[in-house]
Amino acid sequence: MPYSVLILDDDADFNCLLTDIFEQAGYIVTSLTDPIEAVDAFRETDYDLVVTDHRMPNMAGAEFLKVIKKIKPEVPVIMVSGYLENDTIRELISGGVGGVFLKPLNIFSLLERTAELIDEAKKVENAPESDAGDIGDASGVDAGVQLGFVFRSFPCKSGASASFAKRLYSLRNFKSSLSLIGEPGMHYRSICEDIRGFYENEAEHFVYLSKGSFDQEQALSLIKVAKQEGAERVTCVLLELEGMDESQKKLATSLAKHQGEFEELGVALRTVFCVCGDLDALFDEGLIDENLYILMGTAEVLVPPLRDCDIDVGVMAQQLVVEVAREKSLAAVPRFERSARDLFRQHKWTRNYQELRATVRKILEDHPGDIITHAAVKSALKFNEDVSLRTRFESHLSSQKIDYLRAAAILLGGDRDQTASFFGTDVNAIENQM
Amino acid sequence: MPHGCAEIIPMQQHRALILRSNRFLGSALVDKGLVTTGDLEEANGKFMKAIQSSDLKRASILSMLLFDFKKLEEAKLLDYLVEERKLGLVDLDFIELQSLRPMNIDLSLCWASSTVPFDHVEGTYLLASCYYMSAPVVKYWEDLLDGRVIWYGTTIASLSRALERIEEIHEAEDSANEDE
Repeated sequence: MPYSVLILDDDADFNCLLTDIFEQAGYIVTSLTDPIEAVDAFRETDYDLVVTDHRMPNMAGAEFLKVIKKIKPEVPVIMVSGYLENDTIRELISGGVGGVFLKPLNIFSLLERTAELIDEAKKVENAPESDAGDIGDASGVDAGVQLGFVFRSFPCKSGASASFAKRLYSLRNFKSSLSLIGEPGMHYRSICEDIRGFYENEAEHFVYLSKGSFDQEQALSLIKVAKQEGAERVTCVLLELEGMDESQKKLATSLAKHQGEFEELGVALRTVFCVCGDLDALFDEGLIDENLYILMGTAEVLVPPLRDCDIDVGVMAQQLVVEVAREKSLAAVPRFERSARDLFRQHKWTRNYQELRATVRKILEDHPGDIITHAAVKSALKFNEDVSLRTRFESHLSSQKIDYLRAAAILLGGDRDQTASFFGTDVNAIENQM
Repeated sequence: MPHGCAEIIPMQQHRALILRSNRFLGSALVDKGLVTTGDLEEANGKFMKAIQSSDLKRASILSMLLFDFKKLEEAKLLDYLVEERKLGLVDLDFIELQSLRPMNIDLSLCWASSTVPFDHVEGTYLLASCYYMSAPVVKYWEDLLDGRVIWYGTTIASLSRALERIEEIHEAEDSANEDE
């Protein structure tokens, strides 16, 4: 689970350096240069740790510390400064600073102390909850859950995502196949990278195959390359399974059952099936055959839609902001106004992560400032809605068309000739549509 | 009124129900910690062979786990049903069974879903099942019987003997009809 860190330093270069250090170490960073803004951000956001400079205009580090300790005394703080007198250091420590680091920094010590402080804070935070033996409250909020393993695809601050991560972790030693079933727009690849992260063994390799890249030659080639690179076990992740053609689905079954050429590769093989949609409906529609339907039932995990993980959405949006800011080489990572973050939490995200990513990109393209406002988010959401209105109508009509075709095919016992005759078209047209 | 199928409809007609009910049962058994995913994988392999050879009466994940692979004890499963799902148990050997025809219920559906209505009291059907943990089975029967159902758990042996006895009852009815 990535922790979030607020970095405050008026020196833009040093701020960037700190941001890079913490991001490289896997933290989600909000970097600010103005203490007043930092207080606002701290009040509005649940950070796991704060790193602050001491000498700053408007408000000294010691004063900033006093203010934020009044707001949330449980959040650990690290002070970084060019020079500090011993007395000042003592005062800071008695004021609640968990670590004082002088420039030039020892990065390893800084990160080590960061991890220690967050660990200590979480232990204190979790103590009463673990007695209760429950994950989160009735609203599904679980700010204090500590998974005990790394999970990045969801921040796991919501009950649904924390349960999902735990279930995946409990199934990490699945023998031959695992199914991830979710709504459209899910970030299956990131989820599978999390599964890969459950293993410390370097000999554990994952290869990714999707509709456009999955054929026997490609699959065998990737597995062989992994083997040459020292893989003892290769997990083949099949993305967009429901959209694959018949031959690809048959190949998926052979792969999962280690049949044919997959039998003699001399390396242990596993398969992860990633599917968008309701599996029973896909089975009824003939998009998943009997073999896959049963195979996929062995170890099946439902991926929670983003609307069930509203608290996570804010953090995921911030992660995406960091990603885009880095791509665009922005001087500082923009942060959300509280009301803007609320909009993210309230939105339904029917296209899940895909939609979230598109929205964040749109916001940063249109409003590249330091603060992401409520208006900016609203405008990006509206833009996506307007742009997609036509797309949605087209997609709705198109999906209806397919539904009618499938319904007719099912009612006519899967007979393509009869289906073609029913619609007054030829078999090839029906085959192409289905 | 139940709208069950008429006479002797082949098991093949219930192929989708068999697949679905077994898939759900397998997942439920793993979820409840009664079998492991490895056990289920083995059983799934054998189950698919039975399906593909159209040996649908043999296509039961449950009986494969219980008898072929011995990965599950039936007593444990029944304990779970009683303690966690608050289900009553019935031994059909002690029940005086009757023809299913007046209830308009197809026997092949009973084989396909490992479930049998063993009594009908004032519009309510008493159903004994080995597949109560499989949601599609419960839903199918409750839809069929308009929800007027009281569920009981039973063993595979008890259910199989009961269905064979009902087959005999149906055969006797057929013979009597031919004689007339």
